[in-house]
Amino acid sequence: MSDHIDGPRQIGDPAADLTDLFAFTSPENPSRTVLTACLFPSAGADAMFSNAVSCSIVVRRASVAGLGDAAQFRTGDQEIRFTCRFDLLERAPGAKPVQRGTFTLPDGQTLRVVVNDKNGASTPDGIFRIFAGLRSDPFYLAWLFANMRPIPNLLEHDNVLCIVIEFDTRRALDTDKGSLFGVIAETIPLAPTSPVGPLPLRLDWVGRPEQTNMRLNYGPGIEDIRDLWNQQTPFAIASEHRGMFLQRLKESFAHWDMRDNKQDWTPSALDANARVFLDDYLLFDVAKPITDTSHLEIEKSTINGRTYETGGGRTVDSNVIDILVTWLVNRDREFLRGGATRATKPGTTVFPYFAEPNMELQDIAESVDLDAAPDRVWTLIGQFDPSWHPLVASVRMIGSGIGQLRIIETIDGKQIVERLEAADNSHRSYSYSNISGLPVSSYIGALEVNPRGSGSSVTWRSQFLPNDQPDIVVKAIVTTLFKTGLASLKSRLGDSR
Amino acid sequence: MNTDPGSDWERPVTTDGDIAVVNLESARRRSWSKFIQDPRRHGIAEAIVENERLTAQLVGDISALDRLESLARQLSQINAESARTALIQAQVASMTHRFTEARRFLAGAEQDRAPLEEVSRIRLNIDQACGVDLDGALSARREIATKSGRLEDLVALGALLADLREFADADRIYRQALREYRDVSPFPVAWVCFQLGMLWAELVPRPQADRAAQWYRRAIDCLPRYTKARIHLAEIYASSGRTSDAEALLLPALESGDPEARWRLADALISQGRQADAEGHLHAARVAFEALLERHLLAFADHGAEFYAGSGNNSRRALELARLNVANRPTLRAYEQAHDIAFNSGDREAASEVLAEARIRWGKAAAFASSPLDKRFSEEREGAVA
Repeated sequence: MSDHIDGPRQIGDPAADLTDLFAFTSPENPSRTVLTACLFPSAGADAMFSNAVSCSIVVRRASVAGLGDAAQFRTGDQEIRFTCRFDLLERAPGAKPVQRGTFTLPDGQTLRVVVNDKNGASTPDGIFRIFAGLRSDPFYLAWLFANMRPIPNLLEHDNVLCIVIEFDTRRALDTDKGSLFGVIAETIPLAPTSPVGPLPLRLDWVGRPEQTNMRLNYGPGIEDIRDLWNQQTPFAIASEHRGMFLQRLKESFAHWDMRDNKQDWTPSALDANARVFLDDYLLFDVAKPITDTSHLEIEKSTINGRTYETGGGRTVDSNVIDILVTWLVNRDREFLRGGATRATKPGTTVFPYFAEPNMELQDIAESVDLDAAPDRVWTLIGQFDPSWHPLVASVRMIGSGIGQLRIIETIDGKQIVERLEAADNSHRSYSYSNISGLPVSSYIGALEVNPRGSGSSVTWRSQFLPNDQPDIVVKAIVTTLFKTGLASLKSRLGDSR
Repeated sequence: MNTDPGSDWERPVTTDGDIAVVNLESARRRSWSKFIQDPRRHGIAEAIVENERLTAQLVGDISALDRLESLARQLSQINAESARTALIQAQVASMTHRFTEARRFLAGAEQDRAPLEEVSRIRLNIDQACGVDLDGALSARREIATKSGRLEDLVALGALLADLREFADADRIYRQALREYRDVSPFPVAWVCFQLGMLWAELVPRPQADRAAQWYRRAIDCLPRYTKARIHLAEIYASSGRTSDAEALLLPALESGDPEARWRLADALISQGRQADAEGHLHAARVAFEALLERHLLAFADHGAEFYAGSGNNSRRALELARLNVANRPTLRAYEQAHDIAFNSGDREAASEVLAEARIRWGKAAAFASSPLDKRFSEEREGAVA
């Protein structure tokens, strides 16, 4: 995933694991720029920032140093650095714990913020505004790369911890000196972990999406060099390692190029691509439009020997994986679309621009073991038509295939409408969503039949957010529905016990 | 052997223990939610195993074991034939000390072409836990630790050295693990500190209570909710008459559900003459132990034996559990426990049987020479000759 869990070392403390970096024009005010770093893949509803890590977003001035096969970018030595650190939790009886953070701005000012306060905090002159807290994960990845199969978003309903910094572009970046910048985010332990021995290592850093998980670690069986990469100094990859990383990128890009069994990259262009991606920072130009589709345009145009036309960067809703995969696999010959075109929640037009966190879904899973062979069970229940269920009085089916609707009248006179979302007869499974009739939202159900000994096992699962009624009541309704259905199978097909 | 209790200790800067536990719980719940969404998803069952393992081991939430068993059950319903299911089943069985089953699952995983490295790692854990081929395990552990340098591999090596009664080496390796730690999660640091506490409190022939207490305090400092560290430190405090300190340590640990917290609290209260207060805790501990033994007999057989040999006051049950533990994992320590219980309860015949078995199994190992069982054996032999 973008930079999610991108090395064995990050798995230690997820709150130190950077997932993504964004750079875009403020949707509220075009004269302002927003930089955002996300941490903690699949953070739960109560996730907090580590108090032992400092997270920095670092900007350097950039310039184009070559075009076409000689494509290259250079960055200046001066850094515009935003750093944040977080406190211990403040606990009060009967209340959720509170955490505060301190942002240090490039001019040395500090700004305090309460985590999860959506209004954030601003400097008195309004130049800088900051936010820190849990948000819906804006990243989405909907590919099974092993066979290039589009699948649903793997990060659906995930949350991440976000650090959002918005500022007056001209005053913070001094745009009179140039408008092209490179940006990275990094996490570093607060202090040496030992008074003797080596200095603390960088825990993680991120520039463009997927440098580690997709580009450096591109396939099974290759040596995992992600930890070594994460410990490099951004904007200054160690000279003794540059050759090795460059070689890995070349091999990776050659591998990606052939994922569709067609060679779209000449060796020299592929080398140029590898050199550009080796210098891993997210490029953005504040004088040009940064849009949902401009991600990587600066790099791509430069490699193609043209002057770039957009501000590149990365917006909240950028489809970064499809953009990257298309570029690597067919050099933009044909857009490759994954199985999702948006994250769980899109970005918003008001500060902090990242959507409210997803609520914790309620889970139900029930199963039954049966004497009957899987195919026999699947013949009975594998069609989307639920007439086999004893609580169903009648069913009307509308349409066929994915998208098919079932309108169920229950024996107590209620109507439930559900939609077929996916079906896989080879695995004897289907999934569906609820349109109406249950006091829920974001409902996804799945039914599957698996072999078990000489018989089979039927599992019925669902996840949902209860609407208007207490969790326990809604869970009881759904559980009853599942249990009654599965129990009826036992009497029809034989209990394996 | 270094007798200075942790002179080179500088606490690594790690995430506050409270925050880490909140985040672990948050990640744990989310991993389950993702599993329900798609149980076949790559890595998700493995993430649950890791999160639940940390929850059980370091937060002391014993219900994590129930959840792990539920995970293994659900996986077997969904994909009974896969190597991945067999590997998870093997890990869960191993964590709950069902080692025979674990080996069976592992053989299945191997047959289904599970990654060899994974299979070997789990098999090594099982061998070590059961005291099988420890010399071979030591070579393997040294090789792994040298190659990876990872904290978890160093700790496993340290624990094996302790099992082999190479205490100075174990201490050195644990300290190396702490010295070389460069991450910010408090869990590994707390774990190593706890291991060092155990080493100096319970494993060395002449326990050094102050030194052990120091390490337990450090474990708790890193991770205030480290239930096991609280229990062990409370034991040291109680045995040195600091019963109020023991009580203060144990009260926050009660919510974990670990019956040992209630048992040790009852002991501390009894020492303070608060028999009536202790009674309720003791009763609750007994009920909770039995409930645990019903669900995870082999995982808690040694703990149950210790309880019944002490304030649980049922030596027959204690011996029954201790012998069950020996049958399941015939380590030298398991034999020592069973022998102690039999001997102290006056069951000389059982004590002799355990001793004879221990000698057959461990008599030729270097570790046996530093075991109290060796001395006991000599005494018995001299008695027989006399």
